[in-house]
Amino acid sequence: MNATPSRTVAQAWIELRSDDPAAVSAFAVARARLAAGRSLGGLRRLRLIEVTGALPAPREVDALLHRSIQFYNPHKERCTLRFATADAAPTGAGEVLVCVTDRGGERRPGAERWWRHQTGEQADVRESVVWALRFEGAADPLAAARELALLVDRHQGLLCNPHAQTMDVTAGEIPLPWIRSDAR
Amino acid sequence: MGAGVSPARVAVLRFPGVNCEAESVLALERVGLAAEVFGWTRPASELARYDAYLVPGGFSYQDRVRAGALAAKDPLMDTLAEEAARGKPVLGICNGAQVLVEAGLVPDDGRVGLALAHNRMRDRSGYYARWVYTRVEPSNCVFTCAIPAGSVLPMPVAHGEGRFTTTTPGGFEALLAAGQVPLRYATLSGEVAQRFPDDPNGAEAAAAAVCNAAGNVLAIMPHPERAQDLGGLARTMAGPWGHRRDAVLEHGDLAAAGPGLLLFDGLRRHLEGA
Repeated sequence: MNATPSRTVAQAWIELRSDDPAAVSAFAVARARLAAGRSLGGLRRLRLIEVTGALPAPREVDALLHRSIQFYNPHKERCTLRFATADAAPTGAGEVLVCVTDRGGERRPGAERWWRHQTGEQADVRESVVWALRFEGAADPLAAARELALLVDRHQGLLCNPHAQTMDVTAGEIPLPWIRSDAR
Repeated sequence: MGAGVSPARVAVLRFPGVNCEAESVLALERVGLAAEVFGWTRPASELARYDAYLVPGGFSYQDRVRAGALAAKDPLMDTLAEEAARGKPVLGICNGAQVLVEAGLVPDDGRVGLALAHNRMRDRSGYYARWVYTRVEPSNCVFTCAIPAGSVLPMPVAHGEGRFTTTTPGGFEALLAAGQVPLRYATLSGEVAQRFPDDPNGAEAAAAAVCNAAGNVLAIMPHPERAQDLGGLARTMAGPWGHRRDAVLEHGDLAAAGPGLLLFDGLRRHLEGA
């Protein structure tokens, strides 16, 4: 008899294989227009998808994500999976990560339906955007990242409009799960 | 306007990715204003020469980061904010509305106080295009104050991020009380829309447009410039405007003034001091 699978989380980090136009534009605008962006040395954008439920083995999760367009396109994106906090995320040394989530808009019902159809199991699928920021010479990169991210006015903030989005910033251990729900 | 008086000049800002500048210019010209497209590569200082501004619809900077987020940082927007503070009218339509909100020109004084978030719709998500009814609310907004409150104007919406929302406690109650929500999504009979699809995106207070406190800057999600020809009014739209459409379809004057043109005429009246 099979044991009932425990509820686990798979975290998929998805990044374009080519240059990301959104990241290129955000980097250029941040450097040119925002005080907190002056010391920005690099900026990447990744989609973060978390699948939570009674998941199969990691290799099977990898295969499931790979074969559905609900999650990513392997022809133009690469995907790195994490199943434990000890697993590495595709982040660079010294990068500060800003996870931006649409308030009440993180669920992916289409992906959940596909998952149930494929596996027979109910899973929650959530998606956010993670901006990976690398600063050069910033005294406090975490503070610089927060200032650069949180939209206040035309001259401060870019990545998160707090009236519609939430953000979480880390330069250390990446939470698993990380995407938080705000049903507002 | 008296004979020999030059018409007021309106700059229609074109950021890369904008795609509604031509019909916006046409609508302005139809009410007697001089309009021209102002490209984003021109010196921002040249913007001050105009009497009013229009930020048109489209997908500025491909909606990268968030719709309107990158155009809001353009140096042109600093000049636009300065001219708006002097009382010059500014109209942002759809993506233009997103730019004004992200730039903090609406609802108030430079701080970002709103968002145009992803649509919330029953059993669907993403981009949504449809003709809707809007109701004119009492307001000092220069674009709508000449239109009787309670009028129902059909206009099309076409957006993925059109839901006016704020985390400011009591934000929309205050905006409504201050007359800063001059258009709300409505039913054909003029009742405020309660649900999708009358309210096509789940906007708080069914807000279709929000203006600043002075009433000279308006961010509107429906497209009045696409409702400038009566003959172009969707066959699904009923009511008085639908009757007028049926009449022009019968007699062939398809380009008779449609409901959207009222907002542009409001601008003309304001600029002429009428």
